[in-house]
Amino acid sequence: MVIKRPPDAGDILQGTLDMLILRTLVMGPAHGHTIAEVIEHTSENALEVEQGSLYPALHRLEDRGLLSSEWGVSENNRKAKFYRLTSKGRKELSAATGRWRRMTRAIGLILGESNE
Amino acid sequence: MSIRRFTDRTRKDEDLAEEIESHLAHAQDANTARGLSPEEARRRAYVRFGNPRSTRERVWRDRSLPWLEDLWRDLRFALRGLGKTPGFTIIAILVIAVGIGVNTAVFSVINAVLLKPLTYPDPQSLVEMRNTGPQGSFAGANIPKFNIWHQQTSIFNQVAAYDFGGAGLNITGGDHPEQVQGIHVSADYFSLFGAPVVAGRTFTAAEDSPHGGHITVLSYGLWKSRYGADPKVVGTTIQLDGEPYLIVGVIGRGFVTDTPADLWVPFQFDLNSQDMAHYFTVAARLKPGTTLAQVNAQLRLAADEYRHIYGKDSLPPNGGFGVVSLQQATIGDTRFPLLVLLGAVGFVLLIACANVANLLLARASSRKREFATRAALGAGRSQIIRQLLTESLTLSLAGGVLGLLLGFAGVRFLLGINPGNIPRIGEDGSAVTLDIHILLFTLGISLLTGILFGLVPAVSASRSNLAATLNENGSRAGVGFRSDKLRSAFVIGEMALTLVLVIGAALLVRTFFKLQAVDTGFATHNVISMAMSMSGDRFQKTAPVDQVIRDGTDRVLAVPGVLDVGVTNCLPMNNSFGMIFDVVGRPKGNSPFTGGAGFYSISWRYFNALKIPLLRGRSFTEQDDGAAPGVVIINQAMARQYWPKGDPLKDRIQIAPGAGPAFAEGPRQVVGIVGDTHDDGPTRDPFPIMYIPLAQMPDLETALNSRVAPLWWIIRSQADPRTLVPPVTAALRGASGGLPVAHIRTMDEIEARNIARQRFNMLLLTVFGCAGLLMAAIGIYGVMSYSVQQRTQELGVRMALGAQASNLRNMVVRQGMGLTLIGVVIGTGGALWLTRFLASFLFGVKTLDPIAFVAMPFLLSAVALVSIWVPAKRATRVDPMTALRLE
Repeated sequence: MVIKRPPDAGDILQGTLDMLILRTLVMGPAHGHTIAEVIEHTSENALEVEQGSLYPALHRLEDRGLLSSEWGVSENNRKAKFYRLTSKGRKELSAATGRWRRMTRAIGLILGESNE
Repeated sequence: MSIRRFTDRTRKDEDLAEEIESHLAHAQDANTARGLSPEEARRRAYVRFGNPRSTRERVWRDRSLPWLEDLWRDLRFALRGLGKTPGFTIIAILVIAVGIGVNTAVFSVINAVLLKPLTYPDPQSLVEMRNTGPQGSFAGANIPKFNIWHQQTSIFNQVAAYDFGGAGLNITGGDHPEQVQGIHVSADYFSLFGAPVVAGRTFTAAEDSPHGGHITVLSYGLWKSRYGADPKVVGTTIQLDGEPYLIVGVIGRGFVTDTPADLWVPFQFDLNSQDMAHYFTVAARLKPGTTLAQVNAQLRLAADEYRHIYGKDSLPPNGGFGVVSLQQATIGDTRFPLLVLLGAVGFVLLIACANVANLLLARASSRKREFATRAALGAGRSQIIRQLLTESLTLSLAGGVLGLLLGFAGVRFLLGINPGNIPRIGEDGSAVTLDIHILLFTLGISLLTGILFGLVPAVSASRSNLAATLNENGSRAGVGFRSDKLRSAFVIGEMALTLVLVIGAALLVRTFFKLQAVDTGFATHNVISMAMSMSGDRFQKTAPVDQVIRDGTDRVLAVPGVLDVGVTNCLPMNNSFGMIFDVVGRPKGNSPFTGGAGFYSISWRYFNALKIPLLRGRSFTEQDDGAAPGVVIINQAMARQYWPKGDPLKDRIQIAPGAGPAFAEGPRQVVGIVGDTHDDGPTRDPFPIMYIPLAQMPDLETALNSRVAPLWWIIRSQADPRTLVPPVTAALRGASGGLPVAHIRTMDEIEARNIARQRFNMLLLTVFGCAGLLMAAIGIYGVMSYSVQQRTQELGVRMALGAQASNLRNMVVRQGMGLTLIGVVIGTGGALWLTRFLASFLFGVKTLDPIAFVAMPFLLSAVALVSIWVPAKRATRVDPMTALRLE
């Protein structure tokens, strides 16, 4: 029995985390710790990845076939699991980005109007 | 998201654990790089990450279906719990199995008879042609009707005629002639029913015309048994009644007809015939998209045309033509009785449910502390209900599996006994087979019963007061007023339902005995009958048939042990022909003829052979032959109906006025009156019958007779007539030039078959009633035992205070009988209303039969009293000291 969640259902933060992970991996394969650091640094530390959510998200994305993974050796010479964006993941990223842009624009419009 | 998500979770979890280790190591590295001490770096990494175990659990849960896991846990728990109380589990499963088994049994018959579509292709468009009238419609056709129906090509794709039952044909040419079931059909028959042709072809229209020659199509069975399924048999001939018949084709195995056929021969109707005799059935296939209104409109025109051609009296004044779906025609009047049976088994199931619910209630109350403990540990109410429902569903599904086996074995057994002409069930019920519908039905009622009997105890158990229960001493604590009331309600319900069932059963039992007590009007004991098919060119005239009858009578009478022998073209209680007649010199009133009556052609010893009493006048003699003046004997019913005042012996009868050339004959003198016979079975009043000597039949009528019906030889003997079958059949073969006989049955068997349906219904309802009684007895026993056990202290106190054993016993008996009495009152009320549905099952017994309505409540009360007596006796054996010490 497979329960299919519509991609834009669920809490917005979780969906956002998924999108951020996918976006991070566009630059190339990375392991969990790097992904969290990249998100935090790129957002100028505005976003803090709750690490208890990171791995469930990674595994969920892998289960959905958006990521693939393999064990490798990290820059610190340690064993680490590297995630790679699949073509399905790439498509999902562009769809999610589009959704996000539409939504922020809509919210922006509303906020902009009420500010005037 | 794929199924991969749920697989291999243990390995993935280990993988994740390692991944988290790696993450922590990297975090620690990063912290160290920022200049923290190793301990601090490590600590911060851990703090930042949070609890790795909860992350792993979250991923694990993401990869699961929580309800499935819960279900699996509940199921394991239920199995463990049920396994700990094997006695309870076995009784509960057996009770459910009986309840579900009887439902499966009845449903499997309903499935075969009512629900399964006919086996022909596109069965919805098949209809049976009917003659309609104010009294309803009946099947049967003559050649002119068939002809006119056949022309209605605007509404019918095909129209085909076939024999009612088939006359039987004799395969000759071998050492022993063999009688087989041959069915006459018209050319379109095979295409109408979509019969698969495995070799050769079927009849052409030319072959189905009066000079079409001797040809036949074989059934798969005959092809296999006689020719070893050799396809080269097509084109060869088979000897039927001494004539070579060309085999033109073979029909495949899948073709099942309601009257099993060994081979088919064409009717070869002369469509110009004016023959008014109805002796075959006609079916048609509607053109796609034809509505019933269109069919009826077109058939009204056809009826007008028919009247126009054959005269205004050729159809009754309000009569016409109509159609009925072939499925409905095949099912006939079995629908309602089967639904009544389904209602009865529904009752059995309800009783079983009430019973198991009671057992579960008792069980739940002894587990109160268990539930309270679970509730204290945080189990929600819904979780406890779910747990208990899982238990009850486990029970009901186990019971369902057992019930399926039980029901299927049971229905096989019952149908094997003799269900009495239920259509579509095949030989001994062989067509009643297991299919997906039956499985789904059984699964459905299993789930339903599981919820039905599980829900009330589950809800009631989950409602318990936590603190109070935990503070009570042990599991013995009282279960509270509420569930006591529930249990009593269940027992009352069981009693009421059981009473309805046993009253119904009693009515059917009384019906059956009334039926058996009906005097058939003829001897059935030590009488045997056998059919001799007179098909073939030899028997197209009366004289050669008469010769066989005379010779056969002499030879059979010479067999030691034979007391008498008679011959007839209609076997009593088996089949009969009807015929119209005029009384010579009498005005016809509104009808074109004086009346209608059963029409039997018999040999002169027929009345002696069946011991039918001669009431007035004379019987037939050997001298009443073709050369002698025409004579007729009538039965009492006919004398009463048509000569309420006058003397029939003074009158002459014109038989079959205007019924066509086959029946052209002069008037016959009424020479005698004989006693009535119950030829339509014991439930119907004897109908008017006229008897004529076989030797005096017109030649054309004999020819028709030889085609559509066999001659029945009826032999009465001193001892068991079955022992005489070999010498009698040898004598008949000698007399007829080698003709075999078939359908050898004693008249006792034929009579039994006539009431087989009633017997079947009676047996079923008696079985249901007994099952109900047994369950009700178990039910009240259980409740009273439990009550006595609960009241041990109270009984001890009473005893210590000086109550006599008999006082205590009576107290328990009073309580139990009180419940029974309420059940009896409700049940009697229910039966008063429900037995009306049994009206069509009954004979000689009213639906409100006082015997059933008085005796059965007493029977139920007696059974209840016996069941209550045991716990009541136990109440008197309470030791006051032990009871009080329990405090």
